[in-house]
Amino acid sequence: MQAIDIDKLIVRRGQRLVLSGIDLHVARGEVFALLGGNGAGKSTTLLTLLGFLQPESGEVRVLGDAVAVNPEKARQHIAYLPESASLYNHLNAYENLRYFLALSGRAQAQSALDQALDRVALQPEARSQKLENYSKGMRQKTAIALALLREAPVLLLDEPTSGLDPLAIGEFNHLLKELAANGCAVMMVTHDLFGACQVADRIALLSDGNLQGEFQAKSGERIDLDQVLQRFNGMVAA
Amino acid sequence: MNNSVLVFREEWRFWSRSRLAGGAFAIMTLVLLGSVIHTWSYSTSESERRANLQEQAETAFLSQPARHPHRMVHYGHYAFRTPVPLSALDPGIDPFSGTVLFLEGHRQNSAMFAEASELSSLTRFGSLSPAFALQVLAPLLLVIMGFSGISRERENSTLIQLQASGVGSSSLLAGKALALLSVVGLLLLPLAVAGLLLVPSISASPAAVLMLVLVHGVYLMAWALGTTAVSALVRTSAASLAVLLLVWTLWVIVLPKFASSLARGIEPIPGKIASDLYLLTDEELADGHNAADPGFAVLTAQLLDTYDVDDVADLPMNIRGIVSSAGEAAATEKLNEYAQQRLSDELNQAHVVDRLALLSPLLAIRRASMALAGTDLEHQHRFLREAEELRFSFVQGLNTLHAEELAYSDDIKRSADATAEQRTRVDASNWRLLPEFHFSVAPAGDRIISALPMTALLIAWTLTLLGLCALIGKRVRP
Repeated sequence: MQAIDIDKLIVRRGQRLVLSGIDLHVARGEVFALLGGNGAGKSTTLLTLLGFLQPESGEVRVLGDAVAVNPEKARQHIAYLPESASLYNHLNAYENLRYFLALSGRAQAQSALDQALDRVALQPEARSQKLENYSKGMRQKTAIALALLREAPVLLLDEPTSGLDPLAIGEFNHLLKELAANGCAVMMVTHDLFGACQVADRIALLSDGNLQGEFQAKSGERIDLDQVLQRFNGMVAA
Repeated sequence: MNNSVLVFREEWRFWSRSRLAGGAFAIMTLVLLGSVIHTWSYSTSESERRANLQEQAETAFLSQPARHPHRMVHYGHYAFRTPVPLSALDPGIDPFSGTVLFLEGHRQNSAMFAEASELSSLTRFGSLSPAFALQVLAPLLLVIMGFSGISRERENSTLIQLQASGVGSSSLLAGKALALLSVVGLLLLPLAVAGLLLVPSISASPAAVLMLVLVHGVYLMAWALGTTAVSALVRTSAASLAVLLLVWTLWVIVLPKFASSLARGIEPIPGKIASDLYLLTDEELADGHNAADPGFAVLTAQLLDTYDVDDVADLPMNIRGIVSSAGEAAATEKLNEYAQQRLSDELNQAHVVDRLALLSPLLAIRRASMALAGTDLEHQHRFLREAEELRFSFVQGLNTLHAEELAYSDDIKRSADATAEQRTRVDASNWRLLPEFHFSVAPAGDRIISALPMTALLIAWTLTLLGLCALIGKRVRP
């Protein structure tokens, strides 16, 4: 059983066919990146995985649980990091973490919260301030800490490095590798080819709702950026 | 912990840190407390004032010197409508209806001195009562606190995070609705405390108080559920606020005014002057001041026959008193006919408004609340009927004195003969025939029964909105 199974998925949003029968599988311990331009269907794939969009046909399962049948159960396996860190401005970092962790039934001790915030390098003096005073990067770090603390077997990331400085991106990539090594299935959607090649074990290209190519990293090596870029450019030109 | 409870607690934390919600809640709390204190103290002092005036009127009547009884019929008396105990919570139509009736022979006067008519034009639209605060202002507070309950989560993308964290949309909606319902509970607290602690001291029924609090609770629950439903249905907070304010304007301002206008149009009521003119032109009525009026010929003939005499002067009683009494009875029967028609017309108007309660819960709560407090139209009618009974009783008592205590021979020449005039004055101790008057509210059981239809309608409103929330709860999407 794969962590994420997507079979012959067709999704329409209104009249528009967004995904036209894609097959996609992500194993535990794997970092998978879904690359594509704007409107390619990346976010639609994530929203369908989360059960927020109903497919026209096809099947989506997370750790064997069919999303269409019981989306809430499927979501229990998932930690999701949206593009714009969706946290509360009137709460500080600790309060945000405690609230969302309590909602997912994974309340953690204060020391665990600090540990996670240390891992994402959020300055200790900022942690008790309301998020309305945070920069985009600081918000993203808090959201990443939340995803870590969820300890979910499946991690879904939507443009995860958006707003992070280069140093933080490096640390974040390291974190993803660590999570995958611990058995977490990581799936990110992004249009950052360079970032994806830095961290992903496997990359798939999505265009007009179809998968156009797949690149697998060789053992101990990174995926060749030029190869992906060439295919990506050809896809955009077409 | 249950996710709905977590969402509930978080909503309260948001309000406690939001200037708009916190400020609105603080202002509303002050308004409610102020209205409870103000209305209760006004009602208590007004109650004492009118009771004193009633006593003064009775003393003035009783302290009249020896007079001809018919002069006392025209001297008249006053009946004051003392505020009922629960008018401290809902004054209802009291401020707009007359508080005192001048009672005299052969006439049914209109109640005078409505509180609103004594105020300046700027202040006559009613004062701030707890009922007004709960029926009109509290829904606004619920709108201000709840309009963005779900839409804000959607706009800030926290909805997707909440749902991705395992919060089902039903739990989310339940948590948000529970938070607003807890506000409803807090809003009812001043009313409940005032009712249960203050009102029993002025002998209100605990059952009526409890019911009054409950119907307001049901009404505000409808607002809380409706607000939650709109915030979930509408995509943006601005649109949600606009929709809710529109609904508030329609339900609270437009429909009640429209209902009044419609009722006046469908069930027009001739004015009191028109009724009086009809009465004046009613040719069937004989003049009770004139024993020779042909209208009393049959009565006179019967008396002459009964006592086997040829002249009214030989009757064992004063024919003038008998005629006054008969004239009063006939006039009262006719007056009551007109009065009853007028009361029926007024009730018909009220029923037109009642039917529109299907479209506006404010009309339903207003009607139920006034019925429970004893400040509705039916209670004003009750006052008019009780005052009329008092009028008829003392006028006929005086007519009986006239018939039994005054010699006919003195009575017919009292204008020309000073000594005869002296003999037609009856002793002042006779004025004690005047009964004491205390207006009292209908029993609590009757008031509760009277409020049941509108209470049922409010429950139907609330259940419908609860059903809507349950339906929406299955389909809230980011």
